Amino acid sequence: MLYARTPYARQMQEPIEQPIQFDHRHHTRDEGIDCRYCHNTVDKSPSASIPPTQLCLNCHSQIWNKSPLLEKVRESFIQNKPIEWRRVNKVGEFAYFNHAIHVNKGVGCVSCHGRVDEMPAVEKAEPLTMGFCLNCHRHPERYLRPVSEVTNMAWKPEGDQEEVGRRLIVENNVHTRQSCTTCHR
Amino acid sequence: MSCDESQEKAKTARDERRRSLPIFGGVAKPVEPPRVWRSLTERSRALPASAANEFPAGASELDGVSRRGFMQVLGVSTAIASLGAACQKPNEKIVPFVRRPEEMTPGNALHFATGYSLEGYTAGLLVESHEGHPTKIEGNPSHPDTLGSTTAFEQALILGLYDDDRAKQLRRGEKPIAWTTFLSETRTRCESLTASAGAGLRFLTGPTTSPLLADLRRRILSRFPRAKFVSYAPASGAGAVDGTKLAFGRPLLPRHRLTEASVILSLDADFLNDGPEQTRLSREFAGRREPGRDMNRLYVVEPSMTVTGMTADHRLRLRGGDVPAFAAALCAMVSARGVNGLGALGGLAQGPGSWDQKWLAAVAADLEKNRGRCLVIAGRRQPAVVHALAAALNAALGNVGQTVEYGAPLTTDANSGPEALRGLVEEIASGGIDTLVVTAENPVYGGPVDFKLAQLLKRVPNVVYRGLFEDETAAICNYFIPAAHPLESWGDGRSNDGVVTILQPLIDPLWGGKTEADVLATFLDEGHLGTHALLQKYWNSLSNLPASASGSFDAVWERWLADGVVPDTGAAVEAGVKLNAAGLAQAAGPLLAREGAARGNGLEVSFAVDPKVYDGRFANNAWLQELPHPVTKVTWDNSILISQATADRLGVETGDVLTVSYKERSVDGPAMIVPGHADDALTLPLGYGRERTGHIGKLVGFNAAAIRTSDAPWFDRGASVSVTGSKHRFAITQDHWTMSPDGRDIPPPAVAAPLSEFLKPDSKLHEDLEERRGPQPYIHKPVDYSKQQYKWAMAIDLNKCTGCSACVVACQSENNIPVVGKQNVWRGREMQWLRIDRYFSGSVSDPEVVNQPLACVQCETAPCEYVCPVNATVHSDEGLNEMVYNRCIGTRYCSNNCPYKVRRFNFLDYTGDISPAREMGMNPDVTVRARGVMEKCTYCVQRIERKRIETRIQGRTIAEGELLTACQQGCPTQAIVFGSLNDPNSKVSKLHGEERRYDLLHELATRPRTAYLARARNLNPDIKVD
Repeated sequence: MLYARTPYARQMQEPIEQPIQFDHRHHTRDEGIDCRYCHNTVDKSPSASIPPTQLCLNCHSQIWNKSPLLEKVRESFIQNKPIEWRRVNKVGEFAYFNHAIHVNKGVGCVSCHGRVDEMPAVEKAEPLTMGFCLNCHRHPERYLRPVSEVTNMAWKPEGDQEEVGRRLIVENNVHTRQSCTTCHR
Repeated sequence: MSCDESQEKAKTARDERRRSLPIFGGVAKPVEPPRVWRSLTERSRALPASAANEFPAGASELDGVSRRGFMQVLGVSTAIASLGAACQKPNEKIVPFVRRPEEMTPGNALHFATGYSLEGYTAGLLVESHEGHPTKIEGNPSHPDTLGSTTAFEQALILGLYDDDRAKQLRRGEKPIAWTTFLSETRTRCESLTASAGAGLRFLTGPTTSPLLADLRRRILSRFPRAKFVSYAPASGAGAVDGTKLAFGRPLLPRHRLTEASVILSLDADFLNDGPEQTRLSREFAGRREPGRDMNRLYVVEPSMTVTGMTADHRLRLRGGDVPAFAAALCAMVSARGVNGLGALGGLAQGPGSWDQKWLAAVAADLEKNRGRCLVIAGRRQPAVVHALAAALNAALGNVGQTVEYGAPLTTDANSGPEALRGLVEEIASGGIDTLVVTAENPVYGGPVDFKLAQLLKRVPNVVYRGLFEDETAAICNYFIPAAHPLESWGDGRSNDGVVTILQPLIDPLWGGKTEADVLATFLDEGHLGTHALLQKYWNSLSNLPASASGSFDAVWERWLADGVVPDTGAAVEAGVKLNAAGLAQAAGPLLAREGAARGNGLEVSFAVDPKVYDGRFANNAWLQELPHPVTKVTWDNSILISQATADRLGVETGDVLTVSYKERSVDGPAMIVPGHADDALTLPLGYGRERTGHIGKLVGFNAAAIRTSDAPWFDRGASVSVTGSKHRFAITQDHWTMSPDGRDIPPPAVAAPLSEFLKPDSKLHEDLEERRGPQPYIHKPVDYSKQQYKWAMAIDLNKCTGCSACVVACQSENNIPVVGKQNVWRGREMQWLRIDRYFSGSVSDPEVVNQPLACVQCETAPCEYVCPVNATVHSDEGLNEMVYNRCIGTRYCSNNCPYKVRRFNFLDYTGDISPAREMGMNPDVTVRARGVMEKCTYCVQRIERKRIETRIQGRTIAEGELLTACQQGCPTQAIVFGSLNDPNSKVSKLHGEERRYDLLHELATRPRTAYLARARNLNPDIKVD
């Protein structure tokens, strides 16, 4: 049982090698691209979605369009063959997580995904177990932030987080639910 | 009465009851039949011991392996598996689009409007699609004939689409060929056919209303002037159109409107569960079922109990062959009551028939009293003369324009019955046919047996057949073309009122199937174009596009596809329809005499369209095969339906295999005694006994078509029966899941009473119902749910439920419910979360029926929850009784303790080896349960949560009508209503407050959230009911 709770067993803190060396540090921190430019269904769908190849080429047809690093992206687009990314974050098959409601109620990306803007290759930052989810569902005030700051990786509350959180619960009409069927159906 | 006194009295009663138990030496009371019963065995109080046991003997055993043995094996295999798997890390791929379609948001479903054509008439559908996989079918609310609901057949289309048994290979003989090869070979053939102007070319199609197919036909006939088209469908009845021709002098198609009908008489018409109007008629019928002065009254005359018959207020069982004489007698009776306009038709009656004259007189009087507000409907099985008399009655009673309208026929061929086929058969027999293109549904199986199509088609040098399966017809064709499923096809079609729907595919053909238009177009050298291009070309070429079509064609086209209906295409109502009574009387006389003479005496054999597999086209659909028959509750079988009296006379019991001989042919099938069947008649449902189809439908039941001839497609006298001596074991669900397992009397679960009782404010009925609702004392303090945002609840109106079972299939589709197969149904392992209990009451010969849909009633004080050792079933904050699959360890205590018996257990791994195609059709919002897990109705909690999230993001609450459960959405009569009790204005709140409301097993203080509304029978005081 103890083993199961170790970060190792939960495959945390273990950068996953992807077919393309996509560097979140460069795109988000250096270029200042918002998470939602690529993960653009995160506020309207259960799934945040991995961007289609076409979206990469929005920029990369203009810049770095000859870079050997992007060979696979161009190949995917030309051959109409999807890029097969490796999954990093996963909740159990029996849990139906919904990104949209969390993002719209002020749960920051960083709360579950960690400082993706500092990861050369993305790794699982949090255990994503039921206990992890319930921590927040029981005490949302400890984690909430203004909806405008959800994608801000470095956001810090002005003043006491719990105080800010309690105000946000009222402002954003947050009702965390703990009934089983909220996630398990 | 003081408190002490009443307690004392209760104690004495309890003691008395205890003393009467056999172990205290009590003597069993004489057995009286229960007031309501689901089966004849239950009525005789002779339910087998197995019925008392919720899990009958063997239910928890694997075949040949005991639980203990199984656990040993399991232990070893787990140990082995864990050795290798312990350190494996998941390596899961995420595969995004290369180019994501603009309208698609991964994770959110899309809905597309399309349609499904059965017998040529198109029902408008709305199909839910997840990432390109269609997963659920709903009715299109803007379609005039579906109004947002569906039939069981339409619900089951999803399973049919992903059926791995479907034909996948185009072939010439045994040789697989490519579509392009077929195209070039057909092109060569066409060139040689042109020389003879297509003299040897014939097309055998199904009945259709498609404008595109009609256009293709026109063009083919102009290229090959001597070619011919014939349409045939085994279940087609040409009576309606021929009948209006007799009555009004021109062929017309009736369209019925029940909103204005106060009195309805069905002459062998199962209009609530059969035919192109069924969904709309069900809705309109139910709209007039509110108890009150406005409530309609339904009379049904029919040989064998149908869905419409079960819903009737008064039902007369009458052999199919007696219906023409009954119709004539009715004309006479109505005419005698002073209705003008029937003229000589009043004199057609041929003496008293076998029916109760008082019944007939009462119906005639009721019709006459409701002139302009009544309706006579004749069924598809009845000959033209009955349809003509029905039309005459409607005309004379002033119903035309009120409850029935007439329009020009919509199908390309007026007749798709055996008469249409006869000409073609003769031509083939004389050897003049060189090429026969068959796009009709499996004619070799369903065609009249005397035409011997199987042998005949072999004489045609060149048979091209397009079919969904490698079926009976596919076995003898030269070219076989796998058909595209309706959900894979472009097309068009018209509803019964003429409204055009453009059918759009939800997915590319999974196995390269071709549409009917594709096949026909090859004879115009256009087979390479594809149906989409053909369809657009056709509609774009129309010089008179519907009036509302303004803007570019592309924009108009997009709107048609999005709406699912093409506006302004409704067929015109024929004005000036005038009854030619004298002419009809002259024509009807000989026709009636012929019906009478030919039908004669003796045992009647009659054929019926099956409510589960139709004419056999759904035979490979496991949802429909396992769906309990609405009347007999038989799964995975058809049966020879017979009345108790006739069975007694013949010495037959349910399950006896009979040989039914008619003319020189015979067929063997198991008998089933059904309450309410006409005496001296046998009903043989069509569509079973398939020799060649997928592995689901193969050899299930017997093939009634083996004795169905072209001159008696629906019924005839002169059959004989012999008992073979062998027994057949049915898989019937009617005695499963009983709520009184020890046979004790419980208050009738389904309450039905005469309307007059409901209208009397202080009747005993109201007292009884009052007793069966409201708070019951309970050991715990009840939880207060009134402060929650929602308090989910359901109300089911038994007055509206017809028992059609569309809800059961809708539930199965929405909730990924597995099918278990016949052997497992025997053992009581069927998995449908929603069952429809069908209760008979009264006599076996003329019973009354109530249908009661029953799924988990979401008790507030749920008995299942107390006994679960692992908290796998618990309550949500809104009062839902939740089932948590990942906690369940399968003790089945919950099911044992559930008084409603609505929990289902996965005894075996029913979903482990499903085909990859089938996986695509699963609802991704619902867990696919593994073996050993309990499951039950959740009030479609996945829909609740989706809608909750959607509305909370928008900062509002879920509005009334925005959230429907699957059963509710599918229900054609809107008998099921779901919503929140915390909204006093919601429909469900109002229904819960109705005086017809009662709770099932209220005495157990379970506080169910599903309430029932008692059924009212609108009885005619002039008819005696036993």
